Amino acid sequence: MADTVNKTLDPHVNRRGFLKGCTMAAAALGLSESMVPKMVEAATSAQRPPVIWLHFQECTGCTETLLRGAHPDIAQLILDIISLDYHETIMAAAGYQAEQALHDSMEKNAGKYILVVEGGIPTALNGVYCKISGKTAMEMLEEVSSKAAAVIAYGTCATFGGVQAAKPNPTGAVGVDQLVHDKPIINISGCPPNPVNFLGTVLHYLTFQRLPAVDSLKRPKFAYGRRIHDHCERRAHFDEGRFVEQFGDEYHKLGYCLFKVGCKGPETFANCPVARFNEAGVWPVSVGHGCIGCTEPDFWDTMTPFYDRIPNVKIPGAGIVADADKIGTKVLGVTAAAVGIHAAVGIGKRLIKGKSDSDVG
Amino acid sequence: MAYEKKKCWSILLRLYHWAFALSIVTLCITGFYINSPWTNSMTEGSASWPMAYMRFVHFVAGYVFTAAVLTRIFLYLFGNKQERILEHLPVTPRNIKNLFSTILQYSYIQDSHDPDRLGHNILAGITYVITIAAAVFQLASGFYMLFPEIAIWEKYGVMIFGSQQMARYIHHLLMWWFMIFAFIHVYLVIWNDVKQPEGLISSIFTGVKFTHKA
Ligand code: HEM
Ligand code: HEM
Ligand code: SF4
Ligand code: SF4
Repeated sequence: MADTVNKTLDPHVNRRGFLKGCTMAAAALGLSESMVPKMVEAATSAQRPPVIWLHFQECTGCTETLLRGAHPDIAQLILDIISLDYHETIMAAAGYQAEQALHDSMEKNAGKYILVVEGGIPTALNGVYCKISGKTAMEMLEEVSSKAAAVIAYGTCATFGGVQAAKPNPTGAVGVDQLVHDKPIINISGCPPNPVNFLGTVLHYLTFQRLPAVDSLKRPKFAYGRRIHDHCERRAHFDEGRFVEQFGDEYHKLGYCLFKVGCKGPETFANCPVARFNEAGVWPVSVGHGCIGCTEPDFWDTMTPFYDRIPNVKIPGAGIVADADKIGTKVLGVTAAAVGIHAAVGIGKRLIKGKSDSDVG
Repeated sequence: MAYEKKKCWSILLRLYHWAFALSIVTLCITGFYINSPWTNSMTEGSASWPMAYMRFVHFVAGYVFTAAVLTRIFLYLFGNKQERILEHLPVTPRNIKNLFSTILQYSYIQDSHDPDRLGHNILAGITYVITIAAAVFQLASGFYMLFPEIAIWEKYGVMIFGSQQMARYIHHLLMWWFMIFAFIHVYLVIWNDVKQPEGLISSIFTGVKFTHKA
């Protein structure tokens, strides 16, 4: 029976907020309304899945968005439907107590807990760039993931290495799936990711007893199955050829498409235009800034310059970094000059020899 | 001196050539538009849809281009002697010799040409094979961008290019290869036509070349 009077839940989440959160997650998952009672039932069942949350090389922005978003319902709901046994940012315990909590939870729930990883894992010099309680991030990940039922990599750092993996990646930072190979992994990427997608994944797991379907980068399809561009509210401006030329211009004020000022919506898989952020229901494009592609692998290298369409061409050794079309035009110019010289030599030679080549017969 | 007509290019090869050449011109123009739309319809509701039309034309030309590339690959394997891939690459002593003599000829050092070679010279052959290889990557990245949700394109697209953005980047850079190739190609075709009276340019329309009667 669904706990419709909200007995087991934290008093901070009222019934309305609770149902709202479940409905949002159902919508994000693309489930029909009729699934909501099932999800409510799963979310309020006695067996809350134990979760261990590890932080590695990162800014903690992912946790911050989850906790401090204008969606107290969502954060509270997540904290209510899971049993968060270890989370360095929000737990009260410190030092040996904290270590003990981690150890106890791993022993007690061996093979049953979900490991959530936030942050990249540096691998250079055997991982010395990130150490917690004397252990490297690599060692901790190996140890804690070995007894987990599944791993959720939360945020672009944990999924693809994060900004610290930007070229030349001095610490050798990588995402979880480069190191853990024997467990089911879900990548909830984004910098930061939308908490709704985390909630959706967990509720899916609770309701259906399995992880949601994923794409080939292990991202759940319900959230990362379609490109931003394909459900953006400015898409009609794109097709109609109405573009912002510069930030702050007339067209920007009219809310035209941000393609020419570098919007990476056409290259980025995420549900931001649909799920949106905060209670205000906004997302970057809705407030006039293009998407920067933060859910994609290597976005710090491939989506930059953020205000151009495609990356610059780097010519190693020569120290040249320039716009692809500028270089292309130069190469074409040099080619034209070479062709001109080639033709001139041919004509000159013919003048000197005094006969045309085709006079061979 | 007497000349004789020799059948050189099959009708399929000639159709492929013009489908390929014309689709590339279309794809470069519409591709530039997609990268940086130079019109900006300032009147709301003018129902002109320039970007939608340019993309549509790009995709139609993309299918023509794809058909041409597949035809060329078929002819590499099952075409006539001049059309097969082994006649393009420096893989036999005869072809290696031709590669060097062509380089010398193009540098105005030596006038020689291969009297018993009807098809491409090997220098041209190599660039044609590279161009078809580039075309395969071009259409793979194009279809990955066009059908990002279809499982097979999604899987191989991520495997080959890593992300939509890298596919787009490579797609864009390869465009420059086609433009530079076309430029040099048209020049050299004209140059060869001037230097040697074998009717090279008309051969890509008629399929016939002229050679000296032995
Ligand atoms: C020689 C052949 C081709 C050339 C020169 C070419 C050129 C281009 C260029 C310059 C772009 C813009 C990329 C950017 O934003 O910088 C583009 C986009 C695109 N091309 Fe091609 N292309 C070619 C073949 C194809 C083929 C065979 C297909 C497959 C049908 C294709 C599908 C696409 C798609 C789907 C886009 C993205 C359109 C969008 O997001 O609005 N292209 N192409
Ligand atoms: C005015 C335009 C053009 C003319 C007169 C022309 C003429 C020719 C001729 C005579 C050949 C045979 C050359 C030989 O035996 O080596 C040829 C081959 C070829 N052309 Fe063009 N061409 C033109 C434009 C283009 C363009 C724009 C492209 C593509 C970018 C192109 C791509 C090719 C390719 C790939 C081949 C090799 C055919 C093969 O695979 O066997 N051509 N062209
Ligand atoms: S993914 Fe972004 S928000 Fe999350 S920890 Fe990394 S840098 Fe911070
Ligand atoms: S604003 Fe960005 S995502 Fe929206 S239609 Fe324009 S390019 Fe696409």
